[in-house]
Amino acid sequence: MDRTDDVLRELFAVPAPPTLPGRVRAALRRPAPTLETLADRFRFEATERGVSRLVYGRGREVAAGRGRRHVEQARVELGEYLAGRRTFFTVPVDLGGVAAFQDQVLAEARRIPFGAVSSYAALARRIGHPQAARAVGNALGANPVPVLVPCHRVIRGDGTWGHYAFGAALKTRLLALERATPLLVGDTRTRIVCRHGCRNGRRAGEDRRVVFASVADAAGVGYRACQVCRPADDPEPWSSDPTGRPR
Amino acid sequence: MDERAFARLAEEYAGRLYAVAYRLLGNRADAEDAVQRALLKCFAARASYSAQWAVSTWLYRALTNVCIDELRRRRVRTDGVEPPAEAATRPPAIGERIDLTRALASVPREARALLALHYVDGLDYRELARIRGISVNTVKSQLARGKAILKRVLQAGGHDGSD
Repeated sequence: MDRTDDVLRELFAVPAPPTLPGRVRAALRRPAPTLETLADRFRFEATERGVSRLVYGRGREVAAGRGRRHVEQARVELGEYLAGRRTFFTVPVDLGGVAAFQDQVLAEARRIPFGAVSSYAALARRIGHPQAARAVGNALGANPVPVLVPCHRVIRGDGTWGHYAFGAALKTRLLALERATPLLVGDTRTRIVCRHGCRNGRRAGEDRRVVFASVADAAGVGYRACQVCRPADDPEPWSSDPTGRPR
Repeated sequence: MDERAFARLAEEYAGRLYAVAYRLLGNRADAEDAVQRALLKCFAARASYSAQWAVSTWLYRALTNVCIDELRRRRVRTDGVEPPAEAATRPPAIGERIDLTRALASVPREARALLALHYVDGLDYRELARIRGISVNTVKSQLARGKAILKRVLQAGGHDGSD
């Protein structure tokens, strides 16, 4: 014990503001935002061709003409997705402003199905640049339209999450949501199987709905694929093994 | 742990958590924000709290993680220049307080977190190691390094630091 200890103890004795306990109490009483309520915090930018940017938090919506329609559609679809009522997006995305390599990475990321994950290295291999895992990570990090282009489905090879533009916590919640949401929904009367979120599939009442894991499963019991949302099994299945090594 | 018990715990620790956060982040607004965020995190995860951890370890761990994340974010935002720490809320008793506050900002993040935990709540090496998920020896060397930086400032201010 020397004098330094005393001086430091005094330095660190910062009195808390008297309002702090009250604020803490109030914060604990406020319920944590659900994913669904988060939908309102996203801001979109869109061009004639599609949604060109998605940002979280404060910001202004930028869209003109047909772009406005894209924004409205994106908002509805994103809300349904976050509420666990949709597994795919139909709103067009405009990636006009990105460089060729990033475009390739984002296009490949869009192919990762709902509920699956891939690794940066596996994605790099798929686009024919096996050494470029880090560059793939950078390209995904600069993804102008997160969620719609599912860069959250790309995680690190060791199974940890890696970075996410909207924070690791949101990445966890999105992946958990996708794990918990059914992929395919069949109508027991029409015997048509739809991707979860398809407007046709919604016509079926709760009592007529069945859940399938794959189109092949559904076909096995006599269901045919919906002509609107066109569900299809990936011929080259995405691994749920994050290392993406061939099994 | 039920909600009531957690709320009591939060109030009991809020002051100490604030002191740690204040010395790490350097201003009142960020410190209050960090305390709230850390407590909310613990609150959300209270079901998974296991009694083999001391409550203080659990809360301080969440808090230091939040603070260090914030410092890291700040570093990116300001491109390496950390904002100068606000002067202490109390008027400096002696001139050295301002120098010390400034010197503290130059102590590496990890060491600063350990110093704050050690001097605010008198936590021992073992508990500090558990909170930060590092070894006891790392705690010792980091603390010594942080203290050495501050000690130099004290001595430069005309105090020999050992009276």
